[in-house]
Amino acid sequence: MFMDIKNLQFSYPKSPLNTVDNFSFTVEKGEVISILGRSGSGKSTLLRLIAGLEMPAGGAFTLNGKKMFCDKTFLQPEKRGIGMVFQDYALFPHMSVEENILFGLPKMSRKDKKKRAQEVLELVELIGFEKRYPHQLSGGQQQRVALARALAPEPELLLLDEPFSNLDTDLQVKIRGDLRRILKKAKTTAIFVTHNQNDAHALADRIVKIKDGKIEKIGRPCDLLGVSPTEIPGMVEITYEELIGV
Amino acid sequence: MNKHLANVNGWTIGAVLIIILLFLPNVSIVTGVFSPVSENWAHIKEFMLFNYIKSSLTLVFFTALFTIIIGLSLAWLIAQYDFPLRNFMKWALILPLSIPPFIGAYTYHGIINYTGVIQKTLRNHFDVTPNPAYFDIMNVPGAIFIYTLFLYPYVYMITRIFLSHQSASLIESARTLGKGPLEIFFKVVLPISRVSIIGGASLVVLEVLNDYGVVKYFGIQTFSTAIFQTWFGLGDLDAAIKLAASLMGIVIFILVIERLLRGGKQFSYSTTKVRPLPLVRLKGRKAVFATLYTVVIFSVAFLIPILQLIDWVILTYGKVPMQDVLFYTKNSVIVAGLGAFLVIVFSLVVGNFSRVVNHKFAKILPKLTVLGYSIPGVVVAVAVITTFIALDRFLAPVYQYLGMDSELVLSVSLFMLISAYVIRFFAIGYNSIETGFDKIGTDFRDASRMLGANSLRTFFKIDVPMMKGAIISGFILVFVDILKEIPLTLILRPFNYDTLATKAFQYASDEKIMEASQASLLIVGVSTIAIFVFHKLLREEPK
Repeated sequence: MFMDIKNLQFSYPKSPLNTVDNFSFTVEKGEVISILGRSGSGKSTLLRLIAGLEMPAGGAFTLNGKKMFCDKTFLQPEKRGIGMVFQDYALFPHMSVEENILFGLPKMSRKDKKKRAQEVLELVELIGFEKRYPHQLSGGQQQRVALARALAPEPELLLLDEPFSNLDTDLQVKIRGDLRRILKKAKTTAIFVTHNQNDAHALADRIVKIKDGKIEKIGRPCDLLGVSPTEIPGMVEITYEELIGV
Repeated sequence: MNKHLANVNGWTIGAVLIIILLFLPNVSIVTGVFSPVSENWAHIKEFMLFNYIKSSLTLVFFTALFTIIIGLSLAWLIAQYDFPLRNFMKWALILPLSIPPFIGAYTYHGIINYTGVIQKTLRNHFDVTPNPAYFDIMNVPGAIFIYTLFLYPYVYMITRIFLSHQSASLIESARTLGKGPLEIFFKVVLPISRVSIIGGASLVVLEVLNDYGVVKYFGIQTFSTAIFQTWFGLGDLDAAIKLAASLMGIVIFILVIERLLRGGKQFSYSTTKVRPLPLVRLKGRKAVFATLYTVVIFSVAFLIPILQLIDWVILTYGKVPMQDVLFYTKNSVIVAGLGAFLVIVFSLVVGNFSRVVNHKFAKILPKLTVLGYSIPGVVVAVAVITTFIALDRFLAPVYQYLGMDSELVLSVSLFMLISAYVIRFFAIGYNSIETGFDKIGTDFRDASRMLGANSLRTFFKIDVPMMKGAIISGFILVFVDILKEIPLTLILRPFNYDTLATKAFQYASDEKIMEASQASLLIVGVSTIAIFVFHKLLREEPK
């Protein structure tokens, strides 16, 4: 098993309920997984636990045979080899696009670093934007830089937190397609959380629906959500919340 | 796995150590209360204590009252109306803060005493010789006058920012409901700005209690001067500690009252959409009156003292050797620079700790260090010196082992003075740094760690560069405060170590008012530049 999570437990201080409750889950190499749930369902917390930004109350997690945490160990986020694209991108405002990407590269020669930066910029189609600063880019460009930055160190696992929530609706559809192409081309194992089932449908190999920190359903998009909602006439964009509200 | 233990790392250890060091001296004051009662203390308690309390509270009460009247009226005028010179006055009215009250005190004494410019002009040009008693400001009302002039900007500044950022919709709706300006002022403005008025006034009160220079120069018996006298005049440190503890009690009492008056609301201005209040343009007599009022305040609290100081500098040119002035300037820059640097480094460590460690304890602990700023300088001085003497006693075997002659090493070094500055001014720097950390949040830090950077690399490559503004403004604020500082420096400096402030104070105390002008003008000049940089460049620049 490439990635294996067993009995993950987590609660925020002062909260009587577990935010993440007995969560067990496995992922194959190269899979793109979507964690689907409404806000407050614990999906972002789950992502932060996998990243190592929150400390679990119990459970175990191995990635590619390496122990990330268990009862005795806790590997710091910088040692995990996991990449993350943040909801608001968190591009360092005092660094150019290229500097942002170079920041995460491991020790290697200056020339190799530059070469790697060019590779990922090509992947996200942003060649020529190296010297720009984040505030000089559009929302979609910023998102692609964030993706390039996360992919550059060749992480074993890529996490994406609501990757489309900060984009305009018409841009979302285009970027969604681009993202799947980029992830598959880079052969990246990826987990992304979303509240929008169109995103999940278009991007994921498998969908994990969660509710109150527990897994509700796991399955392929077509099994779980039926025909793609975008293919049903008259139902172009509908959010998960709206769907459950029906 | 223990969640909290796992968070214990270098940051935590560093931060907790720093907080303990900042706190330790205060403990020595509290324990001093329980030391055996000396004859001096019995005497002080029976005959003097009541007077100290009375004069300290008189100064505090009236200064607070007058600074609120002046500060609030100016803030309202500037926030609500447009009139000639308004844009200049908007920030010029802050400038009196750059004149330390003791410099203002001796400057005004110099202006109106028998040989001063007013009485001289009356005698020489108008042949009038008024009763000199009319011109005596070296008393309690005089001290209140001086404090009011040079401390009102605290109330003005905080209230103005509040009024011009927060009140637009409330005032506008009052206007559409047909209320006149006076009614709006008393029924809307006054109640909603209560929190900021009290915030500003409590800063004024703490400054008054902290002050040593003015009351010493005017010969008024307050806690500050009494502690000094008991310690150096009577040589009774224990009694001085007891006095210091009483003063600390008053300060804590005032802080509690402040909390109650605020009605449990913490003073803060929200960062959500700020809509400035549209200005009402004044015309005719009203405009003249508004301009005149601000010009008078600005002149009396800044322009006149500055012109007098410049005049004296010209008169005494060559009397005070230039290299002396340069020497004191160098000393001032060294202690202020070192003190401000340490405050900022410590603030960064503690601030980062408070941000990263997700625990109630880590949020509350740093707030307690703010107490250091509330506690008057003289009290901090007593606390620091007792701690350092104890430290020297403790280290005596080490000194002997190292073959040193003296038993007092740390307590006669510059190190002690710098530590005292750090304790007293930590809160100023920390405030600025904490705001900086709040502004950048934790996302960038998380992103950096997800890219494989450890805590230290993240700190230097991401946090520090992103907080440049907060770091610079924190440094400036602490630097200027140390530059103006009097009681700590006078008590704790190494033998014969003079700074601009102590030199100016000594000249003035020796009635060499004119000779004090050079050092004073330098302090005021540097402070003015700092205030200018701070408000014009750092604060009001849209980001």
